[in-house]
Formats: sequence, C-alpha cells, structure tokens
Amino acid sequence: MSAFKDPFDAGTSLTTDCSCGHHHSEAEHQADLAAQTADSEALGNRVVEAAVMRALFPHDATRRRFLNAVGASTAMAAISTFFPLGMAKEAFAQSGNLEKTSLKVGFIPITCATPIIMSQPMGFYARQGLNVDVVKTAGWAVIRDKTLNKEYDAAHMLSPMPLAISLGLGSSPIPYTMPAVENINGQAITLAIKHKDRKDPKSWKGFKFAVPFDYSMHNYLLRYFLAEHGLDPDRDVQIRSVPPPEMVANLRADNIDGFLAPDPVNQRAVYDGVGYIHTLTKDLWPGHPCCAFAASREFVTKMPNTYRALLKAIMEATAFASKQENRKQIAEAIAPANYLNQPVTVVEQVLTGTFADGLGNVRKDPNRIDFDPFPWHSFAIWIMTQMKRWGQLKVDVDYAKVAREVYLATDAARLMKEVGMKPPAATTKKFSVMGKEFDPAKPEAYLASFAIKR
Amino acid sequence: MNMSEPLIRIEGISKKFTGRDGTETTVFENLHFSVDPGEFVCLIGHSGCGKTTILNVLSGLDQTSSGYVFVGGREVSGPSLDRAVIFQSHALMPWLTVMGNIAFAVSSRWPEWSKDKVRAHCQQYIDLVNLTGSEKKRPAELSGGMKQRVGIARALSIQPKMLLMDEPFSALDALTRGVLQEEVLRICAETRQTVFMITHDVDEAILLADKIVLMTNGPHAKIAEIVVNTMPRSRTRHDLHKHPHYYRIRNHLIDFLVDRSKAFAGDSASHDPRHPPLVTPGLDPAEAAVSPAGKPLVAVK
Amino acid sequence: MNRLKSWGAPLLSLLILLGMIGVWHALTLPKTAAQTVDSEYAALVGAAAATGQKSAFPSPADFGRKIGEHLSDPFYDRGPNDKGIGIQLGYSIGRVLAGYLLAALVAVPLGFLIGMSPTVYRALDPFIQVLKPISPLAWMPLALFTLKDSAVSAIFVIFICSVWPMLINTAFGVASVRREWLNVARTLEVGSFRTAFRVILPAAAPTIMTGMRISISIAWLVIVAAEMLVGGTGIGYFVWNEWNNLSITNIMTAILAIGVVGMLLDLMMAKLTRLVTFPE
Repeated sequence: MSAFKDPFDAGTSLTTDCSCGHHHSEAEHQADLAAQTADSEALGNRVVEAAVMRALFPHDATRRRFLNAVGASTAMAAISTFFPLGMAKEAFAQSGNLEKTSLKVGFIPITCATPIIMSQPMGFYARQGLNVDVVKTAGWAVIRDKTLNKEYDAAHMLSPMPLAISLGLGSSPIPYTMPAVENINGQAITLAIKHKDRKDPKSWKGFKFAVPFDYSMHNYLLRYFLAEHGLDPDRDVQIRSVPPPEMVANLRADNIDGFLAPDPVNQRAVYDGVGYIHTLTKDLWPGHPCCAFAASREFVTKMPNTYRALLKAIMEATAFASKQENRKQIAEAIAPANYLNQPVTVVEQVLTGTFADGLGNVRKDPNRIDFDPFPWHSFAIWIMTQMKRWGQLKVDVDYAKVAREVYLATDAARLMKEVGMKPPAATTKKFSVMGKEFDPAKPEAYLASFAIKR
Repeated sequence: MNMSEPLIRIEGISKKFTGRDGTETTVFENLHFSVDPGEFVCLIGHSGCGKTTILNVLSGLDQTSSGYVFVGGREVSGPSLDRAVIFQSHALMPWLTVMGNIAFAVSSRWPEWSKDKVRAHCQQYIDLVNLTGSEKKRPAELSGGMKQRVGIARALSIQPKMLLMDEPFSALDALTRGVLQEEVLRICAETRQTVFMITHDVDEAILLADKIVLMTNGPHAKIAEIVVNTMPRSRTRHDLHKHPHYYRIRNHLIDFLVDRSKAFAGDSASHDPRHPPLVTPGLDPAEAAVSPAGKPLVAVK
Repeated sequence: MNRLKSWGAPLLSLLILLGMIGVWHALTLPKTAAQTVDSEYAALVGAAAATGQKSAFPSPADFGRKIGEHLSDPFYDRGPNDKGIGIQLGYSIGRVLAGYLLAALVAVPLGFLIGMSPTVYRALDPFIQVLKPISPLAWMPLALFTLKDSAVSAIFVIFICSVWPMLINTAFGVASVRREWLNVARTLEVGSFRTAFRVILPAAAPTIMTGMRISISIAWLVIVAAEMLVGGTGIGYFVWNEWNNLSITNIMTAILAIGVVGMLLDLMMAKLTRLVTFPE
C-alpha cells in the first residue's frame, strides 16, 4: 500500500513498506489513508504522482530534502511543468481503456438534469477521464432526435421516453436503455395567480394545462391527479405539450391556466409573480421518478468502458446531490447562463426545499426534490400501464421484459455499490400513488381498476 | 469566289405560319432575286410583307418554309460571321462600353487575337464611324444616332462578306438619319461592302441603293419588280433631288407603294416570279427601251 | 435652407427615437408599491412578486445598460451554452452564408436551365409551385430525421428557403433576356458557353441579384427561428436561452442585433446589385 502514500508529503517514505511513522498500526495508517483519499480517483492520482516522484528522485532522502525545501504544492507545480501529471493521471483512470473521451450529453435546462449538469462544472466527468460537453437543448423531441442521430452520446430524457423509443411510440423503434433515474419528486402543479382562489381540482373544468411532453411523468401524473378528482383529462380539460422553458412565458401571457412542470419552472413562475405552487408531486406519489439518464443500446454495447465511466460519474454526482448539505453549492454551480440560466435563488429554493409558494408563504419541504439513481423495473411497468391507460400504447406488451431491457437495474446496482451507495436487492417494489396501491406483478388488474381511461 | 456568280442567290423561298386556330398563313411565296458583290440592294414594302423575315432568313436567324438561299454558292444553314447584321434597335449590350461591344464581336471573329490587337482593331472602326473619344461610354450615355454608329462599327469590324441592315435608321430623327445615311454611303464607297438593306423610306432607298426590290403587300407577298437606280453612285443627299432621274424614280416608287402594291396580285399572268421585271424608271422613256409588256431590257442574269 | 434640408431628416429621426424612448420610459417607471409579504418571503422572490405584482417590462435604462454589457464583451466563451452575443451572431451569419451559398450554387445554374428551356420550365414548374410556399421550418423535422445532424439541418433549412427566390428570379431573368442580344451572339457565331457567360449572365444579373437580395433577407429571418428550434449556438439560440430565463432586456438586445445585421446584409446585397445593374 505504500504506493498510495502522498508522495508530496515530506514526512512519508516511499521506499519502505509502511511505517510512515505517524501511525501506531498499519490498520490505523490504512484507515487514515482511506479517509484522505476518500475516492478511488484520488487514490489513482496518488499512484501516478508517487510513480513519477520515484522516477525523478530514486533516493528517498533527496526527495524529502527537495520537498522540505520548496513545499509540496510548489513541487507538484514544478514537476507538472515538465511532466504532464494530469495526463498520466487521466491515463490511469482510463484503466478500462475508454473508447472515446470527448462526449456530448444533451440536457433540458431544468433541475431534474442536476446530476448531468453539475458533473461538468463540479468535475465528476473529468474524474472519470471524460471530457464532456453538456449541451442545452430546446425540447424533448429535439433531444430525442439528436440522440437518435448520434449527435449526443447520451442524454437527459424523461423516464418514459426510453420506453417510448424502444416501443416505437412517436418514433421508429430503436433499442434504448435507461441505466439511471436522475431525480425523484421535484415536480409541481402550478396555477396562474388569478386562480389563487380555485384550489379545488373539481373547479378546474375547462382549464388549459401544459406538460413538458406527451411521454412524460408530468403528463401521466397530471392525468392521474385529474382523473382521481373526477375530471376526464381528455374531455374536461385541455392538456398540451409545451417545452419547459416556454411554460412561464405562456402562463404569463394567459395562454394556459396552469401546468404540471419540472423545476425551476414552477419556482420561476412564483419568482416572477405569475403563478403559485398548488401541489408538489411528491405529495401524489412520494419518491416517483421523473427524469433519466439515457443512451442507445448501441452506445452501451459498443463503448462499454466509456458508458461505464459516464454512468459512474452520474452515479457519483447523484450520490453527492442526494446529500442536503451539498445542495446550495450545487445550486450555485448550475444556475449560470451556461447551464440553467436562472437566478441562483430560484434554483436554491428548488434544491433546498425552502421556498416561496407564490401565495405569501414560505414552505419547508426538504424532500421537494431528491436524487436516487436506481431504475426500478416497477417504475417502468407503472409508466407502461399509464401509456396504455391513455391510449398511447395500443398493443399488449410483456411489461416485465420491456422494463428489464430498458431500465438497466443491474448496471445501476453495481455502480451504485462502487460509489458507496446502497442499491436495493430487488428490482421491483410495490408503491402507492395517491393512496392507491400498485403491484408490479399485476399490471393488467391495476389498469382495469381505473374508472377513467381510454 | 467566281465574280460572275452573285454573292446572294435566293431561289423560290416562301414562309408560312400556322396560327393558333390551325389556319395557315403564307406571308410571302416564291421569291427569287440575287445580290452581286459590291452591290447595295434595298428592299421596300409595306408592313406585313415579311421584310424582316427575309432579312432574318438571309442572316440565318430564321428559316424558310420552302426554297433555298445561297451565299457565295453555299446554302445558308445558320448564322455566320460572313453576314453581319445591323439591327433596327441597334441591339447593343448595355453593360458593355462602346469599345466592349465592338470588342465582343471582334474577339468572336478572331478568338486567337491578343487583347491589344483586338483593341487596336476596334479603334479603327470606332474612328471610321466618327465615335473617337466615346470608347469608354456605355450605350445609355449615347444618343440614338451614336448607338447606331456603334452598331455599324460592330458589324463592319468583323469584316463580313456582306452587311444586312434591318431598317437601321427608322428609329432616328430626320436630321440624324440624313447624317448617318451619308456616313453609310461614304463607308460603302470606301470598303466596297455588299449590302442588303430593308427600308420603308423611299428617299433612303434612292440615295443608297443600286437596286430596289419592290414587294407587294402580304399575305402572299411577291416581288413585283426590281428598280435599277440609274443615278451615278457619287450622289449626295444634298444634290440628290437635282438629278433628272430622281423624281422619276421617286414617283415610280411612291406610285407603286400607294397603288400597285395592293393591286399587283391580280396581274400575275404575265409575271414570272423567277425573273421579276428589272425596270429603270429613272431613264427618259425615250432612252429606256422597255418592251410594252414590261419585260426587262436586261435580264437579271 | 439647404442646410436645413440635409439635416432635417436625421434630426427628425432622432426626435422620433427620443420620443419613443420617452414614452417607453414613462410607461416603465417603477411603481412604488408597499411590500405585501414578510421579508423572509420577499428574499425568495423577484422584486415585483414581493409587492404583489408580475415582473415588469424593462425600462430604457435597463436596456441601455444591457447593451453596454454585451458590447463591452461580445466574444466571451463560458462553455458550450454560454457565449457572447458576437460569437452567437458569428455562428448565425456563418450558417446563413453556408446555406445561402449552397442555394446559389444550385439555384443559379438550375435557374439558367429553366430559363433557357421552356420544356424544362414546364416540367419543373409544378414542383417549384408546390415546394415554394412551404414554410422552411416545416422542413426541420424531416431534415433532422434524414440528415441526422442538427447543424446540417439548420443549413439545409436556410438552403431551402433561399433557393426559391434565386431560382425563380434567375429563370425569369434568363428567360427575359432580350432576343436581339441573343441574335447578336448568334450572328457572331458565339458558342453556347460564351453566350451564357458573356451575354445571358450579365443581362440577367440584375434580376438574379434581386432574387439573391430577397433570399438573404429571408434566410436571415429564418435562421433565428431555426436556431430557436435546434438550439446549440447562434443568435436564435441566444434568444431562446434568454426567453427561458425570461430576460426581456437580453431578448431586446438580440432583437436589435438581429435587425442591425439584417440591415447590413441587405445593404451589402444592394451594393452588389448596383454593381451589376446597367442603365438601358
């Protein structure tokens, strides 16, 4: 393990087995070391640095004298000038030989894309030896087409989209995969401020609603919500698909009465005084999936190492984002024009869950949005029941098989373990949506139980 | 080329148009005449007798329905640099200068020439038509007369075997027209150019032509007769009317245009279209030995 | 009197501008309203929302400040989604020129052919008539699907919208070249190649250039919409990105920039048209 000692620490010896002299036992030394180099990446960096230092200073005494004289950071900078340490580190990180290091990942500027976006400014991609450009995209149809056209190597999608693409709904069928969910919860129903006294959904007959896309959790949740309150989403209200960035402008222009939208759209409507947050979707279905990280099956099979590195970066970012204490920092990283292009406070309110609701109240709900990458097969099955419920899916499908092929739970579980998260043992679970239980083993029975459907 | 052979020989040409309703109109039919080298021939007739069509046939821009046109013994199959055309509307290219317009023609005639050689050659013809100093002007900056001078220079610059002129001065005012007519007379005298010209101006024909071909009215236009200009070639516009032949020829022509061109169709019994009568109204009737039947004293050939 | 004449129009323009800015300023004067919510809430929302209003239209001063900001650093590059307005305009102009030049390469020769041959004209006319009125943006999904590249698709959309005016004007210009000029060429035994370049092209050039001038205006109109659709880079993306941020001042800056560039493109084409126009 001596290879992993900090070679820029004048106090350590690189030539002896352990005995840095600072620890009473090898175990303690290892524990300390592990704490210092919390992730494998830093460990890898040390290996490379140590190797370089050993090559430059074969005599340990000379190295220590050098470090004592100039200081570790100066030494590192000095050596970097004639030995490309960065490159060596990168080469090491690519132990699995990345097929491609320059990638393009598309995203829609909403907080659901947080892990995909933050990995760029916060260096999660770089740590995997990847040079990723995250490219802002105008809408879901465009992001789908650009991914299908291979302009993007992977993309931020709505969790029903990889299912729809694989099933050939709205495009020709192309085998698609969804190795990770990005966020859970984090959506809301927002109504125009003029409807602040019409909180009861039963009074919403004739409303015009916007959802981001036909194949979105937003569409299915809004329809579910309305149907549970006795409104037929196709006959009693109008639901149209509007790209998230255009929703607030439309609400302001009175083109729509409300929307079930991803954030920061809801919070932005509050910020500009045009709308109020009616219901958080976490109150409909706690822990529901929303957006996803998706790639074509071709990318997954042709570039397994790149795929793995990319997914690992996303997993690490998701793990980082799932911690409340990191949220403020993330908000600052993703709010600038290059990413979400929103006032920092708007993003911060969404991520921290302490937010203005548009009616003069400050609400505190730390679970407003959360991050959990595991792609439960039961999520996919529920989504497909709703596709069928609303007539998008007109044929019978093998729910479990499609879920297994598209939602890559095994890959996710393995990588979650690698980054220190605890994946569940099963790939399906029961959950309830607005108090009604869903059993993934009996999708057809669940479908039959609804009064309003197509 | 055999000098006894006429430069242009026209044998029995006719032109028919098919109208929209399918009816066929014969503009002219069975025309015969010829032009000798160095000769200046004018064609006079009313509008609609197909004058311009005849000129276009000669230039090769148009085709006949039947009959043949020979130039220098060879049948005409298309336009040729041997026959230069001076258009009624001058047809200068407005984006080119005077020099450019002429150079376009010269470099078409002699593509292998160097720029300097083309320029020098053009200058010669610009000087010939008295446009020296206007080389760099564009057509829009020129008066009508000057434009037609450019047209003439362009036609002459390619040194054609013959010039075909389609009412070249009809668009000009009377004064300019007179000046240009004399200019043409001078140039033709200098260059011994063979010219075939269409006109409806009797005085112009008398001034310029050696022979004047008279056409009857269309449709079914024919050549009624060919008037030989018996006045000396050294005539000028200034003293033209002083010559004793002048009024006789002029009256003959006007008489034809006013009356006989319409009535002519009837007396075809004695008319041989292959040999239209050659008349010399300028001569004193006593000295003109014309047969009573109007048969020419001298046959065309 | 003469001096007044030469100064009158610009002076009037200036007065109109000042008048418009004045009205704008008056209409956007900040409304002084009492804060209707507690300060904790006020900190979380925009200034307008805190006083119970919707966010307001920016004032001329806001606009001026924003323009100053953009002009002071027009070429910054902070990642793939955040570039200076100068760079964005550069991308848009590049796309417009690429699509436009491609269109010219196709439209001018094809227009020549159509103009010179009545048969080809009659054969192609139905296609042109059907294809011409299609909104160029309607091609976008088709282009994305077949060309499989959004940058190429945007250029294709520019191509398809600029091709028609050029094609139709070229065909018209060529077909209406005066018969007598062609006859001059024929009597001079000029070959068809030389006739095309030395007679037909210069004769039809003013008409062709008019078509090209119409095309560049349309192309510039369309690029903004196309870029809003595909995103990535360009002034259209910039507008979309700032719409997403509801930043009216940025959008107005972009609108002004679009107008100025459009005017410059048109002026350039007008100058080129004057070069090939001849008085008759």
